[in-house]
This record gives sequence, C-alpha cells and structure tokens, in this order.
Amino acid sequence: MASNNADMVSLLESKFGDKIQIQKDVLGTAAIIANNGIHYDVFKAMIEADEKTGITAITGLDFGANLGVYYHVHTTNQFFTIKAVVPTVDPKIKTIVDIHPGALFHELEVTDLFGIVFQGNEFDGHFVLSENWPDGVYPLRKNVDPTKVKLVPTPEREFNKPAEGREVKIIIGPQHPALLEPEKFSVTVDGETVTKVEPRIGYVHRGIEKTTESRTYLQDTYLVERVCGICNACHSYGFVETVERIFNADVPERAQYLRVISLELNRLHSHLLTLGHACLEIGYETLFQYFWRDREPIMDLVELTTGNRVYGSLMTIGGVRRDLNPEHVPKIKAVLNDFKTEKMPFFRKMYQDEPTLRLRMKDVGTLSREDALKLSVVGPVARGSNVDMDIRKIQPYAAYGEIPFNQIVYTDGDTWARMNVRLDEVEESINIIDYVIDHLPSGPIKIDLPRSVPEGEAIACIEAPRGELFYYVKSNGTDMPDRVKIRTPTFANIPSFLKTAIGESIADVPSNFVSLDPCFSCTDR
Amino acid sequence: MSFILDPVLIFRILVFPGFTFIFFLTLFCDWVERKLEARIQNRVGPMVAGPGGILQPLADFIKLLSKEDIEPRDAKKLVFRIAPIAAFSIMVFAMCFIPIDGASVLSTGGFNGDLIIILVFSTVANFLLFLAGWASANPYGTIGAARVLTQFLGYDIPFLLLALTPAFLAGSLSIFQIAGSAWPAILLAPWAFVLFIITLQAELERDPFDVPHSDSEVVGGLETEYTGAKLAFLHLTRDIQVVFGSALVVTLFLGGPSGPVFFGLDWFWYTLWFVLKLLVVIVISEYITTVVARLRIDQVLTGNWKILLPAAIISLIVAVALVTWVYHPLGIGV
Repeated sequence: MASNNADMVSLLESKFGDKIQIQKDVLGTAAIIANNGIHYDVFKAMIEADEKTGITAITGLDFGANLGVYYHVHTTNQFFTIKAVVPTVDPKIKTIVDIHPGALFHELEVTDLFGIVFQGNEFDGHFVLSENWPDGVYPLRKNVDPTKVKLVPTPEREFNKPAEGREVKIIIGPQHPALLEPEKFSVTVDGETVTKVEPRIGYVHRGIEKTTESRTYLQDTYLVERVCGICNACHSYGFVETVERIFNADVPERAQYLRVISLELNRLHSHLLTLGHACLEIGYETLFQYFWRDREPIMDLVELTTGNRVYGSLMTIGGVRRDLNPEHVPKIKAVLNDFKTEKMPFFRKMYQDEPTLRLRMKDVGTLSREDALKLSVVGPVARGSNVDMDIRKIQPYAAYGEIPFNQIVYTDGDTWARMNVRLDEVEESINIIDYVIDHLPSGPIKIDLPRSVPEGEAIACIEAPRGELFYYVKSNGTDMPDRVKIRTPTFANIPSFLKTAIGESIADVPSNFVSLDPCFSCTDR
Repeated sequence: MSFILDPVLIFRILVFPGFTFIFFLTLFCDWVERKLEARIQNRVGPMVAGPGGILQPLADFIKLLSKEDIEPRDAKKLVFRIAPIAAFSIMVFAMCFIPIDGASVLSTGGFNGDLIIILVFSTVANFLLFLAGWASANPYGTIGAARVLTQFLGYDIPFLLLALTPAFLAGSLSIFQIAGSAWPAILLAPWAFVLFIITLQAELERDPFDVPHSDSEVVGGLETEYTGAKLAFLHLTRDIQVVFGSALVVTLFLGGPSGPVFFGLDWFWYTLWFVLKLLVVIVISEYITTVVARLRIDQVLTGNWKILLPAAIISLIVAVALVTWVYHPLGIGV
C-alpha cells in the first residue's frame, strides 16, 4: 500500500513513464497531466495502489479552445489532481464510473454545467440545472452570459413517468414534510421494499460558482458563506484558505487559532441540529426538543465570538475580522463545560440505550466499509463505516496540527453509528475549543494582502461538519477569480443513500436519509 | 312517548353529562395533554387563550370551523363529507354509555352486554376514519388510512380480550356493574391494566404506535386532504377517542366514578372522581407518548401478533383461573 508522497509519485512515474507529466506540489501533493484517455489508467493504478483512493471532485474548466477536466483524487493521506484536456468542439472523455462508482454525481454535474460527455456515462437532461434550462447551453463556459439565456418550457422527461407493473413510484419532494429543503427522490417500491431511488438535485441551484467569477475576492468571501447557512464558517474558511494558498501567505498564528474556534462552534451546532432532526424523523419529538434547546447556548456563543448568530463572517483573506474578547472567555468556558458535564451524559445515554431509538436506527441503512470506499463518502458517514478519514488529521489546516484530539470511528456503518460519530464529535469539539482558548497565541489577527491575487490555482480540503468540503480556486492575476469550484459534503454522500436504501422498508427512508445530515442548499449551490 | 319529552332526560342528553359536558371534557383533556407534553419537552405550550391557554383547543376548533372547506375533485364526496361527522357522533354516542356521574347518560344502569356495544362503536368509528382517508383520493391519505386499518384490525383483538378480563372478574358484561364492583380490576389483575394501557396506545395511534400519523412518511395521513370544518371534526374525533379510551380504562380497571361522597350532591362527587381518574390515565398515556420514538409499521405489527396477542390470551386465562380457584373461594370480587 502506497501511503506516502514519494511512493505514489514514483509508482506513477515508473508505470507510465513519459506518457504523463508530473508537477510536484501543485494542487495537492502533485498534479498529473494525463491526456488522451490516460487519466483512466492513472486513476486505476492509484486505486490499485491505495484502497482509500477516491474522487474528491471533478472540476471543469474553460480554456477557450479546450476544456479542462481536473480529477481531484484523495488517497490515504494525500491529494492529487489528474489533469486532462478535451477540445471544446467535441468534448468527450472516458468515464471512470466503472472503476469508481463514487464519481457518478461528479461526472453528471460536469456534463450539465460544461457539456463534457463522459463516454460510458452519457446523460440526457439536467442534473443540477432547472428543467427549463435550454439544452446545449453550458452556463459555466466563459462565453455564456447567464442573463441572456432564454428559458424553455418544461420538457417531459423519463424521470417523471410512472413505474410499470407491480412496482409503485413514490415521489419524495421537492415539497415534503420530511425534507426541509427542496429536493426530489423518486423511490420505486415493491410493496414496502425500496427497489430503486432516483435523485434529482438542483432545485435551489443559485449559480454561486458562476457568480464568483464576476465579483472580487473579498465579495466572494461573503458570497460563498451563503452556500450553506449552517456550516457557513467552513465555506468562507475554505475559500479564504484556498486564496491564501495561491498567495502563499503566512497567516498569523492567532488568526489560525481563532478560526478553529469558529469552525468548531460551527461543527457543534451543526451536529446538535442533525442529532435532533434525526429524532424528529423517527417520531421522537421530546429528544428533538431537548437537542434544539441545548443548541441555543451554542448559538449564543457564535454570536458572542462573531457578532452574529448565524452568519458570523469572521474569516477574511489574510486572517480574521474580530479578536476574541478576553471578557467573554469565562462565559464561553462555562457554557461548554455545562454542556459537557450536564447535557452530554444524558444525550449519550439516550443514543446508546433508548430501546425505541435503537429499534429505529440500529441496522438501518448499513453501509459497508467496502462500499463506503467505493462511493467516496466523506465525513461522519465514512467514519461511521470504519473509514478513518478526518481531514483535520490527514492534512491538518488552520491550527489543527497543534491541537490534540481524537478521531471518532465506528464500525457498524448503520444510521445509529453515523449519529453516534456525531455525538462523540460534539464532545471532541468542546475539548478542542477548550484547548484553543487555553493556548491562544498572542500577535496580530490579520495580515494585509493585495486585492489582486497573483496568477495561480490551489485547492483546499477542510473537514466541515458534514464531511470533507472541497474548494478549488483559479486566479488570472486580477481581483476576480477565474474559476471557483465548490464540492460540498452532501453532494459526495447522496450516492451512499441511493445504495443503502435499496432493499429496505420505505419507512426507513427518512431515518436513513437524515443520518447523512443532508444539506441541499449546499449541494445545489 | 314520555321518554323523549322528559326534561330531565333532555338535559342529561344535551347538557350534563351528555353532549355539552363531553364536548368540553374532550377539549379540556386535549389542553391537559398539550400542556403536559409541552412541559415534558421543555416548552411552554398554549399560553394565550384563557388562563394558561386553557381555551386554546376551543379556539383551534372555532378557527378550523371558520376556514375554507376544500374538497378534492376526485374525492368520493358522500363518504368524504359524512365520515368525519359520523365518526364523531358515534364516539359521542359511545361516551353516553360511560357512567360519568354514577349513571349512564340515559339515567339507566345500562344493560348486560353494553361493554361489547361500546367496543363495537369504537371499532366502527375507526373504520369510518379509515373510510375518510380512503375517500380523499390522495396517496398519502390512502396509505395513512390503510395503516389505520392494519393497525386497528390487529390491535382490536387483544384490546377486546383485555377488556373482557375485568368483565370476568366482575362476572358481568355490563359496564355499570363492572365499574361498581367492590374490588376494582386494577387490584385483582394489575398485569391486565398494564397490557390494556399499552394496547390502548396502539388503538389510539399514539407513540410508539403512531405510524398512521408519521408525517415524515405519510405527510398528514388520512387527514392530508381535509380542511376547515371537516378537519375540525376529525381532530375532535381523535381527541374524543383519547377521552373514550381513557374513560374505558377508568370504568374497567379503576372503579369508574365510585369514590367517597362527602357532602352535597352525590353526582358532583362521582363526576369529580371520574374526571380525576380520567386525568391520571391521560397523564400516563401522554407520558408514554412523549418518552418513546415511533416504531416502524412492521415492528408495530410484530409487536401485536407476537407479543400482545399471546399476552392478552394468557392474561385472560390467568384471570379466569384466579376467579375460579382463588378469588371466588376467598370471597373477593364477585
């Protein structure tokens, strides 16, 4: 198993020779230029060398005469980018879905937004865009002006047709009480057993990736924060971190520590929200109310540290906007300590022992470790299936390299395990914030960086509450980015639901689904 | 027909302990439930209408009556309209057999076998609710209705068997005599009381057995397409079912309205004891509802056929054996 830098690079060099070019320390550990269909073999070789190899994201790029397809790949502890180029006039590239099913959604998205055809995974219709969007117009290409696009009447697609025979198609969404956000799932059932799930995302596609290209970096910092209301700090941090990597900026220590506080508060309240929501889905209203009641003091802490309850806007390029007021420290410590000593034991007892809760969550939506790796799932979903994949440990960012904390891994792979991963992470988050406050270095909280970003590109992977969040930024030397790619954790996790729902009762669909902690506004961007 | 013109009887039917009393008792119990659930869940519950929000159920009822009444085009109009009000009427009629103030509403001591009659009434009311959902021409309504039917068909059997346990102990099928027996059934057969409360949760479709109302799966269940006055009566039917179920527990296991009479009118004291006992049962039932999660439909059915039904049969056998060989020779009960 190749698990360090030199191994994988030298392995690829020896295997492919001069068919590929390797750029070291570009877009992760190395960028591998592999044109003319070699990307398939390179990726296959990487999977064979390291079982944890998976697709983080596929980025489409518009170079004018050519379209770029960047496969961002993660291995056990590194990130690689496989770069491929296809001509704009006939953009065709070989699919990698057959060797790695987790790439399915990523390919569909690139097809929809860039018009690149993945041979073997052709797709008719829209995946992210509205049904009214005209065929043949690919919004992320540079020559498309979204304000001038003429929408078309909704066409009749295969997706909307009813099932035949003894099977019944149940449409969950876009409006449904179990879904707080609009997304559609066509669930085909035979009796009470689910036989097929077809997703349709994109109901809240806001074109944020396209919009970033027409705003300055500073404006984008606040725009990407709006991708998700819950993990907003993670989004602004992901963007800011990527831009700082292009600058090669040396962000002050104190700012990095303050960022950790904000990111962990984010994780805390996000996990509490989903732990409660899961109870609501299985009809356990009381526990839901308790979780959300005890989430409120955490929200107050977010307000205390950033000035706002939801959108803190703490991160800025080069540091943070606000310092920690020493007068607030005792209050923060008191709230966190109270949660840890008073509330946690109760919640832990409920999630571990409550019989009806176990009946509804144990052995529901079981995802094996093998499938988890194949589908490239991220975050608590992966860690619930015995895949130790926490970006904070693999590639520490901000100040995480200096903070001691445990990676939570459960082996069961079911809904119950996924929720318990989150519950244990709540406690870890509290410990991290405690540690950071005690070890806060002194110094400035921000460095000034120029408004125009030097030409270059960078990626950043960070561990958002829902899992690995991926940012790619390409700059062209001006004060506006050339391309921003956001891959949210839910986008990577939905394929696992399509897999685990099959063969289970329709009544388990909600509790299975909510265990992914789905966030569709994130997914659609 | 002096029977109908008797003013006392008319008062009993229309005002106390008949329709008006039952109506307000139902709303009051609804308020108790909501307030209790809210307090357990660390909320405040109804607060605005009346002291402590006590008028909130009435306000909700009146508000629903004033709302627009929408009927789906494909609904079976007749059934869709009649089912909610018919279910409500039947439940009120069933309540009339319960000796709330020491006698049933018709001022009689009932008749032998009226226990069976009211159990049939409650089954019919459930069936009407099923029809209400079935007629609404909505997939969620249909699934919700089918779940109601599946559940009550299953749980009616242990429910009936368990209701017969106190009847055996009292040696009568008359509600009045069961309620009036010297030893309440809870003392003679406490296990049957526990089983009856659990079965009642399932009969009333309350947690952990509220699969017909699981909003994450079937949206509003059979109520999905209902609006306005019809919805008001559906809600009222569900509330009165809770009161009826709890009243049944009080009558069968807790000695009904019997209790010490201190001074003044005996019917006042009987009503007081009855309502207090009723509240105790509702508190127990509401407590169970709030502290558990909802089961899955297959778990609910397994629980019925594999656990509750055998338990109910054993309970009945044990009760019969005890009456014959222990209680009777000792002179307890009968």
